[in-house]
Amino acid sequence: MADITLYHWEPNANSGKPMLALMEKGVEFNSHYIDMLQFDQHKPDYLAINPQGTIPAMTHGDRVLVESTAIMEYVNEEFDGPELMPADPRDRWRVRWWMKFMDQWLAPSFSMIGWSVFVGPMVRQRDPKELEAAIDRIPLPERRTSWRKAINGTFSEAEMAESQRRVALGIQLLEQELGKREWLASDQYSLADVNGFNLAYALPLSQPHLSNDELTPNILRWLRAIYARPAVKACWALGRTDMVKRVSILEQEHI
Amino acid sequence: MAMILYHGEPNGPSFTVLAALAETGLDIECRPIDLLAGERHSLPGLTETIARDMGIEGEGPVLVIDGEAMTESVFLAQFLDEMAGGAGLQPSDPLAHWEMMMWCRQITERLSPAASLLGNVAHAHYRLDEMSDEEFATIADSIVSDDLRLRWQAVRDNDINDAHVGDSRDKVAQAVERCEKKLKDGREWLMGDFSIADLETYGWLAGMEQLFPEVFEDAPRTRAWLGRVKARPTVKAALARAGVAEPRDSWAPGPEINRWG
Repeated sequence: MADITLYHWEPNANSGKPMLALMEKGVEFNSHYIDMLQFDQHKPDYLAINPQGTIPAMTHGDRVLVESTAIMEYVNEEFDGPELMPADPRDRWRVRWWMKFMDQWLAPSFSMIGWSVFVGPMVRQRDPKELEAAIDRIPLPERRTSWRKAINGTFSEAEMAESQRRVALGIQLLEQELGKREWLASDQYSLADVNGFNLAYALPLSQPHLSNDELTPNILRWLRAIYARPAVKACWALGRTDMVKRVSILEQEHI
Repeated sequence: MAMILYHGEPNGPSFTVLAALAETGLDIECRPIDLLAGERHSLPGLTETIARDMGIEGEGPVLVIDGEAMTESVFLAQFLDEMAGGAGLQPSDPLAHWEMMMWCRQITERLSPAASLLGNVAHAHYRLDEMSDEEFATIADSIVSDDLRLRWQAVRDNDINDAHVGDSRDKVAQAVERCEKKLKDGREWLMGDFSIADLETYGWLAGMEQLFPEVFEDAPRTRAWLGRVKARPTVKAALARAGVAEPRDSWAPGPEINRWG
């Protein structure tokens, strides 16, 4: 049995980043599914691994690693397999810049929309008392606030409008950047592409009026090229929810 | 390769990059700019501007190479270290390297928006407030990012949410607690060996010690560590680039407060 265990939810957003990085490297790992919709990440078993209650986390022997983007760099450096960071320092800077921009500016906007469309409605059907108790167990106060908003569907109109603005602008910026080179941040497939695919794999389905073959040909070329990789297929096959199955839109010849 | 580093006073992100540059010994032309005059938004010769326009860090330094603007202090410090062929600013062991990146990520995500908000309220506000409407509008018009422009406006108007101020003080206190805990085993530097984590953390905390001394009262190890960072010859060299008496009082609109929490 491998001495690596990844605690993750779906191949999507933060969980999918180290999942795909490990699979691209060809590293065997134990997959420990954390059902975010059942609040597994705030239960004592998981808090014993990561007291902050955020997913994903990875153990390697007795090492415990958190923060998905930093975990990806660890995976790339620690294990043999294809190099997922370019060698040139300026390209490496660009990979890191794009990952931070996506992690901290673009992804929170995507996920605010995703939570109001998917996560909120899926969770809301449960007993309110049970939900309130589950929220109280969340260790980070800012995460408690965001779960409350997602579950109660109380993101304000202004918040949602700002997220939509950022998604629209982010799509334009990605399209421009992918017009400059084959991959997002360098001439080779890198962690920036692994990160970006986790953010954008369902883009032509979730934002069809903003991303399609006519409006964003470079994004569509890029998403299809990533989806064609065996590791990506294998990774997305681990998904259990309809949210993740949306990736199959990339099989269409024209979107 | 034509390289120019445009930087503000040696505080916050400009401090990190100037000190990292001194650590590497690389010979890169440095040009001081007045961040609060909006000079970062009218740099000459840029052909690739996205990193300057959309950087999370806000008014941080900009390294320009062949027309491409590069930003984000931690990544610029990593770039300089890697350009120098490894100047000792990043551990080579993957686990130690992960820990440094994870630390820096949490500092830039939690401490830097908090410190920036508090520093701007205490200092930058007064200068922006004194500007005429025309003067301010000229700067605002040159800022590409809508959300960064709103942060400038909020600093000028002192339109800062009380809850954010309280939360920011808590986040500064939490960062100090984390440093104190890290230094508890008697280590000299945050990650054991000196690294970018020391520079990035110092850059955001140095001005906080002045504003909130009570937060540092029970943190003797953190105070001693701040002193050790400041005593490094390379840090002294970075601070000597200051154009003002107290660079730790120099702030400009920075990263935004997490929109989710």
